[in-house]
Amino acid sequence: MTSAADVTADDRSSPGPEGPEVGWFVYGVVGAGTPVPQDLTGLDEGPVRTFTCGRVAAVATQIRVERPPGRGVDLLAYHSVLDALAQGDHPVLPVRFGAVVPDEVGIVEEFLAPDEAYFAELLESLAGRSQLMFQAVYDERRILSEIVESEPEIAELRALTKDLPEEAAYAERVRLGELVARAVEARREMDAAALLDEVLPMTDAHVLRPVSGVERVVDAAVLVHDQRRDQFENRLERLAEEHHERMRLRLMGPTAPYDFAGGV
Amino acid sequence: MTVQTTQRRSGGGYLERPAPSGLADVVEIILDKGIVIDAYIRVSLVGIELLTIDARIVIASVDTYLRFAEATNRLDLLEQGGGKPLDEFIGNMQESGAGRKVKGAVSGAKKALTGGDDEDEDRERRPAKKSSSRRRSSA
Repeated sequence: MTSAADVTADDRSSPGPEGPEVGWFVYGVVGAGTPVPQDLTGLDEGPVRTFTCGRVAAVATQIRVERPPGRGVDLLAYHSVLDALAQGDHPVLPVRFGAVVPDEVGIVEEFLAPDEAYFAELLESLAGRSQLMFQAVYDERRILSEIVESEPEIAELRALTKDLPEEAAYAERVRLGELVARAVEARREMDAAALLDEVLPMTDAHVLRPVSGVERVVDAAVLVHDQRRDQFENRLERLAEEHHERMRLRLMGPTAPYDFAGGV
Repeated sequence: MTVQTTQRRSGGGYLERPAPSGLADVVEIILDKGIVIDAYIRVSLVGIELLTIDARIVIASVDTYLRFAEATNRLDLLEQGGGKPLDEFIGNMQESGAGRKVKGAVSGAKKALTGGDDEDEDRERRPAKKSSSRRRSSA
């Protein structure tokens, strides 16, 4: 990584796109002096710049604000900037999508300066750690087969409704669905607890996201210390093998610590 | 989830290591996350809110149960021991056409919003742990 244009509040030379309606879209906060990939671009392909204030720096690109950001490509661009920063060796604190500051001075004096110490502390707490996303998903066919097999009322309702047209036996269908939903939930609770017991002790923090539907078992964002990454991944690999007949395990990341931006 | 599962696989290869790809994944990852600087938000996140609402609508209704029922009826269940009459399997195959329609409609609605695929239309979203959400008056 090479250092990109690292400017301070004094640098107001960039005129940006013509017209007055421009603003700075802020992606995140990094430690002062954190290298940013030189060719990194953000929304509307705008070149990424950093604005330093004390120990921290904001990462931003200039955008036109007549058209509010929020299109799919904008979300992808936002994610890819933060992802690129997260691949480096320095922590990055994501700012929620949609933060637009009117000008460079505002970034430094009104966004960074009042919370410089707070941001520095958060970055410190994230240093040397990465966010990963861990998911477990049932093999739908397997889990539903287990349920039909083990619960006679479900098997009965299934036999009753499955060859009828969709409009028929409405009440029975709802009842069937309710029973299956409960049965899935009961299994999910047990399986999720067992998986998490194995996985969470190796993490520094975690956020469980609610899961529902037929397939999802666990959806967790975890913060893992870099020194424990191998151990963590090996454990997951072993679990994936152990459980592969009933569920699939997925590991995504590292990503920017979106779920831990408020600290650990 | 629309993910590429062809990514690096470590060790035994049972653990999937997808890279987030496509809008649905990214929305799931970034939705409601990160430090908030309310004072400066000049834009409304219309697109994101729509997605959230869309995901919640699907959750709390009889439709949810119907979808479970549909999933149960659609499948050729794995036989364990006893065995079931063959005509059940034929019935299943006939049902599956109608069953997919339901799911298709839901995915379609979501697709219209995200422009991408998503099998997670039944997933409940909630704002994750809110990070610092301090408000300051605008300059």
